[in-house]
Amino acid sequence: MKNRNFVNLSVNPCKMCMPMGAALAFKGIENSMMLLHGSQGCSTYIRRHMATHFNEPVDIGSSSLTEQGTVYGGAENLKKAIKNVIKLYNPEVIGVATTCLAETIGEDIAHITDEFKAQEDLRHLPIIPVPTPGYGGTQFEGYYAVLRKAVQVLARDRAKHRKINVIASHLNPGDIRHIKGILDLFKIEYILLPDISRTLDGPYAEKYRRISAGGTTIEDIRCMAGAAATVEMGLTVDQKYSPGRYLEERFGVPLHQCAVPIGLANTDAFVNLISRVTGKLVPARLKERRGRYIDAMIDSHKHNGQGRAVIFGEPELVYGITDLCLENGVKPVVIATGAKNNRLKELLKAGLDNMEEKCVLLDDTDFETIQKYAKDLRANLLIGNSDGKWIEEKEGIPLVRIGFPVHDRIGAQRKVSTGYEGSMGFMDAITNTILENKEKAYRKTMYRKYYKGDKKTEKMTVKTTLKALNPVAGRKSNEEKTAAHPCYHPGAGECARMHLPVAPKCNISCNYCSRKYDCPNESRPGVTSEVLTPGQALEKYIEVKSKVEHLTVVGIAGPGDALADFENTRKTLALIRGEDPEVTFCLSTNGLMLPFYANDLIRAGVSHVTVTVNAIDTAIGAKIYKNVRYLGNRLEGEAAAKVLRDNQLAGLRYLSSAGVVCKVNIVMIQGVNDSHVPEVVKTVKKCGAFMTNIMGMIPAPGSVFEGLPAIGDKALHEMRKQCEKDIKQMYHCRQCRADAIGTLDNDRSGDFRNTGCHVAERVNDRQKPAKLSEREKACTGCAVNR
Amino acid sequence: MERNQIVEKVLEKYPARVYKNRKAHMLVKENTGENQKIQANTRTVPGIITNRGCCYAGCKGVVLGPLKDMVHIVHGPIGCAYYTWGTRRNKAKQVGDEKNFLNYCFSTDMQESDIVFGGEKKLKQAIQEAVEIFNPQAISISATCPVGLIGDDINAVAAEAEKLYGIKVMAFNCEGYKGVSQSAGHHIANNALMKHVIGMGQVQPAQYAVNILGEYNIGGDGWEISRVLEKIGYHIVTIMTGDGSYETLKNAHKADLNLVQCHRSINYIAEMIEEKYGTPWLKVNFLGLSSTIETLRDMAKYFDDPALTRRTEEVIAEEMVELEGVMRYYKEKLEGRTAFLFVGGSRAHHYQVLLKDLGVETVMAGYEFAHRDDYEGREVIPDIKVDADSKNIEELKVEKDEKNYRVHLSPEKYEQLKKEIPLSYYGGMIKEMRDNSILVDDLNHHETEAFVKILKPDMFFSGIKDKYVIQKMGVYSKQLHSYDYSGPYAAFKGALNFAKDLDMGVYTPGWKYVTAPWKTEPMLEGMLIGGEN
Repeated sequence: MKNRNFVNLSVNPCKMCMPMGAALAFKGIENSMMLLHGSQGCSTYIRRHMATHFNEPVDIGSSSLTEQGTVYGGAENLKKAIKNVIKLYNPEVIGVATTCLAETIGEDIAHITDEFKAQEDLRHLPIIPVPTPGYGGTQFEGYYAVLRKAVQVLARDRAKHRKINVIASHLNPGDIRHIKGILDLFKIEYILLPDISRTLDGPYAEKYRRISAGGTTIEDIRCMAGAAATVEMGLTVDQKYSPGRYLEERFGVPLHQCAVPIGLANTDAFVNLISRVTGKLVPARLKERRGRYIDAMIDSHKHNGQGRAVIFGEPELVYGITDLCLENGVKPVVIATGAKNNRLKELLKAGLDNMEEKCVLLDDTDFETIQKYAKDLRANLLIGNSDGKWIEEKEGIPLVRIGFPVHDRIGAQRKVSTGYEGSMGFMDAITNTILENKEKAYRKTMYRKYYKGDKKTEKMTVKTTLKALNPVAGRKSNEEKTAAHPCYHPGAGECARMHLPVAPKCNISCNYCSRKYDCPNESRPGVTSEVLTPGQALEKYIEVKSKVEHLTVVGIAGPGDALADFENTRKTLALIRGEDPEVTFCLSTNGLMLPFYANDLIRAGVSHVTVTVNAIDTAIGAKIYKNVRYLGNRLEGEAAAKVLRDNQLAGLRYLSSAGVVCKVNIVMIQGVNDSHVPEVVKTVKKCGAFMTNIMGMIPAPGSVFEGLPAIGDKALHEMRKQCEKDIKQMYHCRQCRADAIGTLDNDRSGDFRNTGCHVAERVNDRQKPAKLSEREKACTGCAVNR
Repeated sequence: MERNQIVEKVLEKYPARVYKNRKAHMLVKENTGENQKIQANTRTVPGIITNRGCCYAGCKGVVLGPLKDMVHIVHGPIGCAYYTWGTRRNKAKQVGDEKNFLNYCFSTDMQESDIVFGGEKKLKQAIQEAVEIFNPQAISISATCPVGLIGDDINAVAAEAEKLYGIKVMAFNCEGYKGVSQSAGHHIANNALMKHVIGMGQVQPAQYAVNILGEYNIGGDGWEISRVLEKIGYHIVTIMTGDGSYETLKNAHKADLNLVQCHRSINYIAEMIEEKYGTPWLKVNFLGLSSTIETLRDMAKYFDDPALTRRTEEVIAEEMVELEGVMRYYKEKLEGRTAFLFVGGSRAHHYQVLLKDLGVETVMAGYEFAHRDDYEGREVIPDIKVDADSKNIEELKVEKDEKNYRVHLSPEKYEQLKKEIPLSYYGGMIKEMRDNSILVDDLNHHETEAFVKILKPDMFFSGIKDKYVIQKMGVYSKQLHSYDYSGPYAAFKGALNFAKDLDMGVYTPGWKYVTAPWKTEPMLEGMLIGGEN
């Protein structure tokens, strides 16, 4: 899985730079001012982005380096900047973070700030120098880097006390207030670092303060070295940036790491951790909140199960959100972070491995890539910061906003998504987004499905169902399409079709099919090359379309079974539909998986389906099918025949009721099912088949039935005549190949042999054109009896 | 307090050297008949919490960014590209099969290893990827701070890519540390667009062809201006650069007149086009009803065609009929209020007219990154000392293009017109301000706070970075960079939008619950006289 569409070009970044994280962290220290050592654009951009999110003043100084500074060093500028900041803001502590520029010219800010303190006789003034090159990581790493450095510089007081340290992950001021509320319920003393609950979401005060009130006090940070324990939110943080790890290693303060308390399990873990390290019981109020949240989870499960979510943002938050989604039955289909983070992958692995449908997990990625997966995996929900709005706009997938930044909605800074109550509110936001999206369309859908067209009966009608499921279909009616389908309409002989060999796998084993000349799904050189990937199939389609006149039909007929390898089939159809909204889609299958994919076929715009049904009687079926591989089980004998038959008929019934034109192929085998054919025909007719195509078995060399005699033309013709009383018969079948191209009478597949495959050829030199004839034989052996 | 005393009061908190530096950037308008000098476009005082941005911001963020059919690749670590992604509200629409990449953000996302071993290879491959997937007609490469320092030769990469792919690839050496503000970036962008784009096209425009220079279509301003101009019968060749495109920019030299809206960011191109192709430029202002009307009449004078003049008056009358009554209503509601204006390099001047139309007096104004000529008028250009920071920005010299040079006016007519309209001339902001008003260049947070406390304005127009400082002080603040997600404010319909927004802002019920600081915090003078508060 590629984590980027492009290797060298980041398109629509899903991350910010380290100095941004530094600014967010410094804002949580009381009476602090921060300076960025570099060109002034860095502070300006960061202030702009923060002010838009928090709706608060964000003052960050800059050493305003110019070209001169880059040549002669920026020490003088930095010193001047610190001096002016002291004069104008009178801070208790100053944070100095670097930028790309300062790091590239090799500024030693620790040295410069020490020198400054000595020169100005300001030894008492704490200055926290943190290297945060923009190319050294994302805002996520920058945030923790500052916290660790702040602790390193300030936490010196080893005197033991009862308080616990709580290291907060990058959350909203609203969340920080809520978490403090939880800690207060325990009636414990704690030091929370950083504390942006007031600094970045201050109440209106009569007197304006240049440095906003609030934040962790310097005194508190000094005492962190003597705390009873550290509880650190940050499972995905590299240990070299962990402040708790430093306190443990340097001062022996026991470290307990936990996730951001988002979701039930994560909040439980946090609450229990606090209870354990402080020896206090979990307060009753919290238990009540927990109970209410669980009640709410049950209440809204009926909607949440429909969610297919794309989750993106900073690793720690993404981890919390993913857990909340999994707990509520919202299926994460893409989980993405712009940071490079292996820890997130490891942490999520266990939870995601149990999922039926695999989830795409991306780190170091960008939105262009996220968008692609969101679309491919049919996500119906985006969860993350407001940069997801571009995907929301383009793909129409609604975005639930959480994290930083949220620039296009008001109030993000006071939102609460943590703890039991916050998780509940956040879960509600997700559920309501699913509901809102559903509400927008469901009346129309229902109306179209049940009422429009035929008001007397509530039965689904052909076109309405098709339209409800597939808005693209119906530009041309299926009758019109049938009239231009060479297989379904003998008068459409001038119309051409092409078969795309994109489905190599098969899930049943028929006795008339040879293993030796089986569908080329084995990885033998020279045969797999002819199976096309969906991309190659599209390429081939475009090529053929430009060269073959009256191409009206695209079919997928193996070489295995189109539904045994449905992902390839679906992708191929989607790609071609994107290119050509009109072409008729046709597909042939043994029908085993039809009940599973019937809706997908309709959605993909397939209007014609051929199902090969050789027997209704399971005893006869048992003679024809060696085995059936179904949902992980290998079935044999009558059990196999029964499953296959039941699914074939259920699928037929469903498809034809939805207006899909269904043809049933019957392979007539001398002495096995020849007298059974009329019953097959009658049964499939009842299930809504449009026509049947009775074919004589060709004894394929190497197959179980190779010794059986072929059915004579006369016997075949008579059988067709007899069955014609019940249902329309096909007399003009040419029993074509899985990669046939052209009209029924003029196969031109040879002209296009290499189209669409040149990519594969470039990659794999082993395949030789000489193998083609063998493959041709193989394909014939397989396709004739289908 | 005398205005000069006010300035002293604001400055008194500074250390001696900063005091001296900042004092030169402030003045109180006096009607002495003599030119008043203000310091501008010099280095920012470190640590002062300036609102200025960097060279890259001016180049990629302002001038290049809005060119919609180009892929703008930012060569550098991720932050710089990210921070200019869709943040300026320069709107664009796609016409026909035109390409529009405005919602995209492209970066080479340089990592530590690229800084150590060089990033040229990565850049080359990024260009290749961009060409393969997006297939643009032109690509820009903007340098960020580290690029120049590690010695990546983006010009060579651009030249190579241009040959390889047969499309225009331009490199912009706009490293953040160059110059003293975003102004340096404007200049760098102007130079390259002049060198590589303007003059490449051969499309002959219709009659009365004009370019609009220095209009970035924030909130749709450019669209409203175009609507009015087209209604009169003008043909717009290209807009630089709001809703602009590489394809139309190529034909810019074919216009009959260049209209210069933002003088600061684009005067270089206006001057160079005049030198090379002979097209004169006219300083215009589409912000404010009176200034829009004046501008339209100036344009008619330039073309000197009775039919066009008549049509101009017709359109003015038509537009004004719809507006007069409602504008008078808003004026009555807003009249007598005072404002601070601190924006960019031209809006702090332009918006004074619009405010005056609504009866609001500008008591203090300043630019973020302007030069002295934007304050004092172009006549001071010869006196401006070229310092080390400006020397580093190339002064592009162009020569007369004999083949494409056109004489639009006889020398006599040119001189005559110059007396009547601002032809190839900008008079600056100071001349138009009332006596006793205060001008401050590169206003910072300390000064913002101090001036607000003393002068007690009713409203403050600036940007997002100081917006919340001002609002926390109980004063109505409006962003004139992004228009607070509103707009357009230009020309006729825009003026009404602005009036409505102002009315909404001033009469917001919430203000009743907020107390401005001077109501509880006594001023020094007031305390002495009153004895108590």
